[in-house]
Amino acid sequence: MKSAEPPRFILRFLEWFCKPEYHADIEGDLLEIYDRRVAAWGRARANLHLCKDVLFLFRPGIIRSASIHQPIPSNGMIRNYFMMGWRNLRKNKLYSTLNVLGLTFGMVCFLLIGLYVYDELNFDTQHSKAERIYRVITHEKSPNNEAATVAAAGYMVAEETKQKFPNVEQTTRMQRIGRANLVDPENPVNVQEAITVADQYLLEVFDFPLLEGDRRTALKEPNSIVITEDLAMRIFGRTDVINKNLQFSHMDNPVKITAILKNHPQNSSFTFTSVLSESTRYSNEEFMRDALSDWASQNYTVYALLKPGVNADSVSSRITGLVQANASLEPGTKLSYSLQPLKDVHLKSEGIIDGARNSNVDPIPQGNPVYVTVFLFTAILVLLIAGINYSNLTTARASSRLKEIGVRKVIGAVRSNLIWQFLVESFITMVIAFGFAVLIVALLLPSFNEFVNKKFSLFSSVGLGFWAAAAGLIIAMGLLSGGYVALLLSYFKPVSLLKGLVLKSGSDFSVRKALVVLQFTISTVMIIGTIVLFRQVRFLNESNLGFNKDLMVVIDVNVLKARSNFDWVKNEMSKIAAVEQVSVTSHVPGDWKTLVRVKLKKDGGSNQLHTAYVIGADKDFLATYGIELLKGRNFSNENDTSAILINEAAAKILGITHISNEAVNIPQSARGSSFAPVYDDINASFKPRVVGIVKDFHFQSLRAKIEPLIIAYHDNPIYPIDYYSVKIQPQNIQATLEKLKAVMLANDEREPFEYHFLDEQLARFYMEDQRSQTILGWVALASVVIACLGLFGLATYSAQQRLKEIGVRKVLGANLLSIMALLSKDFVKLVLIACCFAFPVAWFGANWWLREYAYHIGVEWWIFALAGVITTGIALLTVSYQAIKAALMTPVKTLRSE
Amino acid sequence: MKRFQLGEFEEIVLLTVGVLHGNAYGVTIKDEIEQRLKREVTVGSLQVTLRRLESKGFLNSTPGDSTESRRGRPKLFFEVTAYGKRALDYCKESRDELWKALPQLVLNLK
Repeated sequence: MKSAEPPRFILRFLEWFCKPEYHADIEGDLLEIYDRRVAAWGRARANLHLCKDVLFLFRPGIIRSASIHQPIPSNGMIRNYFMMGWRNLRKNKLYSTLNVLGLTFGMVCFLLIGLYVYDELNFDTQHSKAERIYRVITHEKSPNNEAATVAAAGYMVAEETKQKFPNVEQTTRMQRIGRANLVDPENPVNVQEAITVADQYLLEVFDFPLLEGDRRTALKEPNSIVITEDLAMRIFGRTDVINKNLQFSHMDNPVKITAILKNHPQNSSFTFTSVLSESTRYSNEEFMRDALSDWASQNYTVYALLKPGVNADSVSSRITGLVQANASLEPGTKLSYSLQPLKDVHLKSEGIIDGARNSNVDPIPQGNPVYVTVFLFTAILVLLIAGINYSNLTTARASSRLKEIGVRKVIGAVRSNLIWQFLVESFITMVIAFGFAVLIVALLLPSFNEFVNKKFSLFSSVGLGFWAAAAGLIIAMGLLSGGYVALLLSYFKPVSLLKGLVLKSGSDFSVRKALVVLQFTISTVMIIGTIVLFRQVRFLNESNLGFNKDLMVVIDVNVLKARSNFDWVKNEMSKIAAVEQVSVTSHVPGDWKTLVRVKLKKDGGSNQLHTAYVIGADKDFLATYGIELLKGRNFSNENDTSAILINEAAAKILGITHISNEAVNIPQSARGSSFAPVYDDINASFKPRVVGIVKDFHFQSLRAKIEPLIIAYHDNPIYPIDYYSVKIQPQNIQATLEKLKAVMLANDEREPFEYHFLDEQLARFYMEDQRSQTILGWVALASVVIACLGLFGLATYSAQQRLKEIGVRKVLGANLLSIMALLSKDFVKLVLIACCFAFPVAWFGANWWLREYAYHIGVEWWIFALAGVITTGIALLTVSYQAIKAALMTPVKTLRSE
Repeated sequence: MKRFQLGEFEEIVLLTVGVLHGNAYGVTIKDEIEQRLKREVTVGSLQVTLRRLESKGFLNSTPGDSTESRRGRPKLFFEVTAYGKRALDYCKESRDELWKALPQLVLNLK
């Protein structure tokens, strides 16, 4: 009679709690009754009653005592586990070394990348109220539907939100208004500093740690300044300089130092070295009046500190309402506001313009979320590869330990004993590897720091959280990879183990194969990633930008006289023998400061305003930079103040095909692009004529498409000159620089002489790419090495297993090559399968990443072929060492004893 | 006298094991009680009682063969020990004594 099966879980439950000596017959009774009930009532009801019965059995008298199943005192066992684990590791030196080596490599990569990623992810978290601080973002839509997102807002937004909205605890305003010389009046040495202005609540909202001074009053009084330790050291050579005076070159009154800030930690978005109190500016009544009606400008970076538990969206929509009620906007312009959490400022600010700063102040340094994600994944993947390695090597070796396991089981080891033993063994390996890894990281850290431009130190910079997380992950990895081994090996029946059955094929082996495929898939993807990155970075650095960037010295204009007296300076400079060309410009191509944008339209054309970037330049600009003039003429003399050159992109949007001195209208204050004209008539707009078209050149990074650009004469109403570009000859550069400095100093002795080489500056655009390329390259290398260590172990093992077979084959006349092929082909097959998986993944990944660049390389087939050849080659090399060794063995040795 | 202490259910179980003489294991005991006394017996309470009686020495158990109908699980047969019989005797005697001492008047009440 085929009887219905009772639910297994409930019988398990009974088995679990019931005294073992009672269990068998009670279960018998239950099943007998169950069968009867099934016959009488049907299955469902019988099941229900069975459950009820078992539940009623759960009572004292039936339940076994808790300690009954731990017959062996565990202390001794744990010591035994450690001892056995240690002995096993020492017995198999080769495998233990391979294991530890692989794990160490993996952990080193993981820790280093982890440090970097952790740092990037924890930007600006040092403020105790960081969770509640938000940056106000303005979303603007102009009448012709151009949208802009700017991290800035008006004066009154900060002022009124904290008054009107009880949800807002505090707000603070910041401005970065430009650069000026800041000197100690007693010992004037020119130090050019960015000027940051903030209201008195800055130190209240953020907790920048103070060395000296009072947080609450430091920025209250006019003419107060707060400086960082670092700046104090640069100006005074010491930090106890509170209450001393400093002089800004652009201000009449000296400013008093009211507090000294500690230097910003490396993971801070704030880089200011000094903060001037806002009241300094608003002691001027006219300024103050303007500010009080300023609702819609984008002149201030506003941070809002919300009360705990307040929803940011509700506050931002109320800000939008407030501004709409108070601001007078041009018709058609729409403003709305949102609040960006402080912790998102570093990584999630793509598409947000860092506003409220003069264009000669560097924007907030941004992180690249793509790289952070990629790194996070690679770190985890490398760790995964290392873990897989461990599992594979250990399970592969298992059959040599089957007898051991069998004997243990016969003697009375229950499964949990064996599981513990293997876990402890893997734990020991992990700990050893972790120790080595930390040691290696400590050794590598200085060069790593230099390379990623950070200041990590092993324990102080990241804190306990990071180490807890790292240790947790590594323990998890140990449990996972050791656990798999433990479960697998403890599963076998003792009889079959002792009969000497060799583990063959079965599910275990295919799992191992799958893991090898996974390892090599990851490695191949990383290799392809490295090649693509490498080629793209080379492309970025070497592609023709449309102008000449080599041997170009760019000198900043930092003092007034360098600007007003530029004719003389230029003349003096061109007298130096090694100088080929000199040009003055407002910006340089590839400018690292923000380019100015204006709105413009063609006279007589449609009314639509277009946006274009502006560079002001003199007549030598094209010659100095080697920019090709396509049509029309260059600037020629002082009468060209209202002439402009445009690039092809601008010609296209303006619809200009040939030069007939078309007039272009640049209104003075289209929103978001105002400029302060130097005209007497302040209502006039700038109406230049187009005199020439130049070939498109990459005046921005290659990430961006070439945008419309107008080159105005250096004497233009939009932006004054700010740079000298000096094309020099390659010989004796240092001497040339000295001569250039002498000219600048002769012009004005306060000149700080700041200069850059244009090509180095341009390379900075891609520094992060370069860095990522190197990191990814190393990680790819490590992952391949780890995977190969594993492969080496597997090959060694499989060669050992087949020694007899190889002996027989050799006796029968097999040659070296055929035996090598025999041993290698299995592994090579796996690597080839891995390539099949890796190629599509890498293809999608590479294309996704390259989309970030307007100009990029193609993902070509040979990259994949190369990566495939590299992985297969390395794998083959690894395996063939063992294969050759096995093939060269004298068959007598393996065959004589049986 | 505290020599033999039997609860009501214990007494019933002990008696039933005696009644079933030689064929007393979990299921038959349960069936017998349910049939004769028309009361529900759960496996849990029965088992607890059986084990308790066994540990007091009133019952003795011997494992039987496993049978097909119980899917290979053995039966555990119980029988009343001599000590158990004395406990039952004692129980009955003490009741009888009490019955005899009961005045007629009380019996006629109602």
